[in-house]
Amino acid sequence: MAIFEINDVSFQYPNDEQLVLQNIQLYVEQGEFIVLVGQSGCGKSTLLRQLKRELAPHGQRNGSIKYNGIPLEELDPKIATSDIGFVLQNPENQVVTDKVWHELSFGLESLGMDTPTIRRRVAEMASFFGMHTWFRQKTVELSGGQKQKLNLASIMVMQPKVLLLDEPTSQLDPIAAMEFIATLHRLNEELGITIILIEHRLEEVLPVADRVIVMEQGQIIYDGSPRLALASLPQNHTMIQALPTAMRVFHAFNQTGEAPLTIKEGQKWLAAQHIEKVKLIEEPLGTNRPILMEAKNISFRYERDSEDILRSFQLQVYEGEILTILGGNGTGKSTALKVLAGLEKPYRGDVHIKGKKLQKYSNAELYRNVIAVLPQDPRTLFVEKKVKDELSKMVHGKKEVDVQLKELIALLEIGHLLERHPYDLSGGEQQKVALAKVLLLEPQLLLLDEPTKGIDAFAKQSLANLLKSLQRKGLTVVIVTHDIEFSAMYSERCALFFDGNIVSCDNPRAFYSGNRFYTTAAHRMSRHVLDQAITCEDVVASCREM
Amino acid sequence: MRVFEKYHPIVLFSYFAVIIFMTMFFMHPVYLAITLIGAMSLNLVLNGRDFFKSLKMYIPVFLLIMIINPLISHNGEMVLFYMNDNRITLEAILYGLAMATMLVSVMLWCSCYNSVMTSDKFLYLFSRVSPVFSLVLSITMRLIPRFTYQLKLIGQSQKTIGMDYTIGSLWHRIRCIMQILSILITWALENAIETADSMKARGYGLQKRTTFSLFVFEKRDGILLAVIFLLFVISGIGSLLGSTTFYFYPALTGISSTLKHLFFYSVYAMLIVIPVGIELVEGLKWRYLKSTM
Repeated sequence: MAIFEINDVSFQYPNDEQLVLQNIQLYVEQGEFIVLVGQSGCGKSTLLRQLKRELAPHGQRNGSIKYNGIPLEELDPKIATSDIGFVLQNPENQVVTDKVWHELSFGLESLGMDTPTIRRRVAEMASFFGMHTWFRQKTVELSGGQKQKLNLASIMVMQPKVLLLDEPTSQLDPIAAMEFIATLHRLNEELGITIILIEHRLEEVLPVADRVIVMEQGQIIYDGSPRLALASLPQNHTMIQALPTAMRVFHAFNQTGEAPLTIKEGQKWLAAQHIEKVKLIEEPLGTNRPILMEAKNISFRYERDSEDILRSFQLQVYEGEILTILGGNGTGKSTALKVLAGLEKPYRGDVHIKGKKLQKYSNAELYRNVIAVLPQDPRTLFVEKKVKDELSKMVHGKKEVDVQLKELIALLEIGHLLERHPYDLSGGEQQKVALAKVLLLEPQLLLLDEPTKGIDAFAKQSLANLLKSLQRKGLTVVIVTHDIEFSAMYSERCALFFDGNIVSCDNPRAFYSGNRFYTTAAHRMSRHVLDQAITCEDVVASCREM
Repeated sequence: MRVFEKYHPIVLFSYFAVIIFMTMFFMHPVYLAITLIGAMSLNLVLNGRDFFKSLKMYIPVFLLIMIINPLISHNGEMVLFYMNDNRITLEAILYGLAMATMLVSVMLWCSCYNSVMTSDKFLYLFSRVSPVFSLVLSITMRLIPRFTYQLKLIGQSQKTIGMDYTIGSLWHRIRCIMQILSILITWALENAIETADSMKARGYGLQKRTTFSLFVFEKRDGILLAVIFLLFVISGIGSLLGSTTFYFYPALTGISSTLKHLFFYSVYAMLIVIPVGIELVEGLKWRYLKSTM
């Protein structure tokens, strides 16, 4: 019997004419691992929330949803709570209490269980997830990955049969995300827990999924095996960019049938193709351009007694380039960016901008026309109730900037958002509005902190295009990121930040084809046949059949 | 070492409540001497060398109270000398000494209480009284560091768009700070929606909550609690029978040393010595374990 039977479900928000969900028909079998994908705004979150009674949004729902044959509305509240677990996107917001052990017991306390039962369940879960070393710690001291693991564990103590997860890895770094997916895979394999997961980072998820469901404009457009998903998507569909590298290359070769999913399968498939290699054109490294910003021997720490975060940090930024600084989470690359932006003061060394020391600039000089910073959380910039006011506030009192404002709105494609509240926008849209805000200061240098965090493949693509066109207008861009693929595709120089300093810096092709582990999926997949391919496009371009 | 603090919070709390109560009300020289010695030795065991540093604070307090009493109180029969035509009496000096001993003892016991009853133990006791209140406290403890951190981030972001609260006119600074706070509030409210979802998803409000804690009430906790209670009751009876009665004015009462009173003194001493005794026994046990290993 199906664990979930969704029959002809439609949904409409109050005061909204459009149907968010249209005649959804879905059966979920016990023990399935399902990945739900689609662009932001396609209704996937709304669908997922329909399955968790407590979180179902207000609005008009038609059709029926049955859990184990019982309509969801008639389910006993205790069973509805404990059997159906829900993990949300932001790891920070879901943690309610101050101690790890208290967080784990929260759900069981709500269900009114006695102390010995709670003690046992909590112990069981902490052991299963390997959390015993930080069991008594405060929740503030945990990393993002640990927090999300804690959120999952504090659902698991209630012994759910189904887990619903709404983009749980979007705020995590790639390594923590991979660990999280591996944990889900383990829960599915070892305990047979049914999993329905919304994801946009598909590289690691698709190989472990039994079924993929693709949604578009409130409808399911594909429901079936991940390997055959390509066939049902139209050519050049935006979802294709989100698929794993092996699948994308497979698609670019116009192949049909069962697509390879993992790097290993991709390697095998590529080796079996009869291809002629084409030499890729080497892009020259643009170091003969003038230096815009230079960091000289910078050392920095937060407290007098704490460890150094930057150790004799050196960096040159050339005029008009896009530079990405890569590194693991918590290594201090965001701190490096703050020092470059003059937001934190180093105890040794200087930052020079156009040959002048950063301290010699007044704040007004520095942040008007010189440096602009796009923070990791764009919401730290928003003050007003409407996007329109948010932007006009930046240029108040100046007539001549009206044209500039209009141009910028057109360039960023945010014209349709002007009347909306900044908090109602999707992650990608919020970022664009924040970007528009800082660009109105007409900077020469734009510093971005993890701009690809939590945005989908489509938004990433449009951000990249935007940065490219800004670069053509003469803007210099420095990006701090852990997104290897993004850096490989769009930057001119890549720098690896490790142990408080830049350890290597080169153009993407040399940088990524020189690395064996810390490199793009496309390079890992093609290394044995091609030396220099680092993106899907490279792989396709360098082995076009003659 | 430090075994005493591993006892259940209820035991620890009752012990300190009882001791501080008795220290405050038993103004008898023998009782005061016992409690002062007890408080000092427990402090020494718990805080080690830091105890000697803290003496710098206790000694002046002690001397001050001791001196002030004879200067303002001129009761008593045994006049020692006159100061500005005021009598300075032996009784008043001794009463000052007793007051000083009592106050410093209470301070010392409170310092022991502080190092033994950490905030999570206190919270746990509160949760026995009201589960909702303790949850609110726990959520607050989670939010304070989060807000502080976010405030710093908002401040930095605002600085880069010209809203730096550290420079400019007073009016500008106030405007910047208001703006930063307004952003923080919007941010916090927005996040609270997701936190509420996370609570709802885990059955919050479904029925009466139980309260879970990591503290286990063991047999030894029960025994110790019973001993404390018993000794407290005996001391109380002793007090009713007059073992703690001592008059400073108009003339000092003598200290009685009948068998009955000696019994009550020793009961009080036993109660006072419990924590130090536990620590010492444990220390010896370890030494023995090591030597036989």
